Amino acid sequence: MTEAGEAGASASASLAGRTYPAVTFDIDPARVDAYARAIGADPADGVPPTFAAVYSLGATAPQLFGDPEAAIDFARLLHAEQEFVWSRHPKPGETVSSQGRIDTDISRRGMRFVTFETQTRGAGGDEICRSRALFVIRS
Amino acid sequence: MKRTVTFTNEQIAAYAEASGDHNPIHLDDGFARSVGLPGRIAHGLLQMGIAGTVAAEAAGGGARLRRIRCRFAGMVVPGDTVTFTAEPAGPHKLDLGAVNQRGEPVLTKAGAEYG
Repeated sequence: MTEAGEAGASASASLAGRTYPAVTFDIDPARVDAYARAIGADPADGVPPTFAAVYSLGATAPQLFGDPEAAIDFARLLHAEQEFVWSRHPKPGETVSSQGRIDTDISRRGMRFVTFETQTRGAGGDEICRSRALFVIRS
Repeated sequence: MKRTVTFTNEQIAAYAEASGDHNPIHLDDGFARSVGLPGRIAHGLLQMGIAGTVAAEAAGGGARLRRIRCRFAGMVVPGDTVTFTAEPAGPHKLDLGAVNQRGEPVLTKAGAEYG
C-alpha cells in the first residue's frame, strides 16, 4: 500500500458522507410491466426484485451524476459492482422514498472509486431496500 | 436453474426505456466508440435483472429474494449469447453465474440469498 497523497491521486476532495435529499418514486404498474418484459420476467409475477435498480438506485443516482461538486464524467463512468438487500419488496401503486449517500470516495492511480448507497423506505416509513453501487471513473 | 439469452438492440432499448437509463453508451454506436467502447453495450443492470429472474426461480419466487449482488466483469454487446445460472450454495444461498458464448464470465462475485 502507498501513502495518502501519492502521485496520481486526485486533487479533488473526497465527498464521502455527502447525503442527498430523499426523492419519492411511485411504483407505477405500467412501468413495472415494461421493466418485467425487458428482463424476460412474467409481469404476472409482480414487481421483479431488481426493479430496485429503478425505484432505489435509479431514483437517486441522477442526483450524484448531476452534482457539480461530485464532477462525475458520465462518459468515463463504469458501474463495477452492485448489491441490493431487501426487507420486503414494494407493492404496485406504492409510493416509496429513496435517499442516496456517498459512502466512500477514493482516488488512486488515476482512477476514482465511489461507493454510493441508497436507502429506500416504503409508504409506511419502513426500510424496504438498500442499494450499494460501486462506480469507477477513469481519468 | 439456467437461462440463455441472446442480447439484441431491441431488448437493450426496451430496458433503457423501462429503467430510465438512457446513457448513450447503451443506445448509440457512434457515441460508444467515441468513449473507447467497441460499440453500444448492454446495461450491467439489465444483465443483473436477468440474473435476478433466474435467482427468483431458484428461490421459489421473487418475493423470497433478500439479497443479490454481482460484479460487472465483462461487456455484453448485441449478438452476444449469455447463459445465466443459479446453483444452491448452502441454506437459503445461491451462487449466480453469467458466461458468454466464448466462455468468458460477464458477471462475477455473483450471489443471492432468500428467506
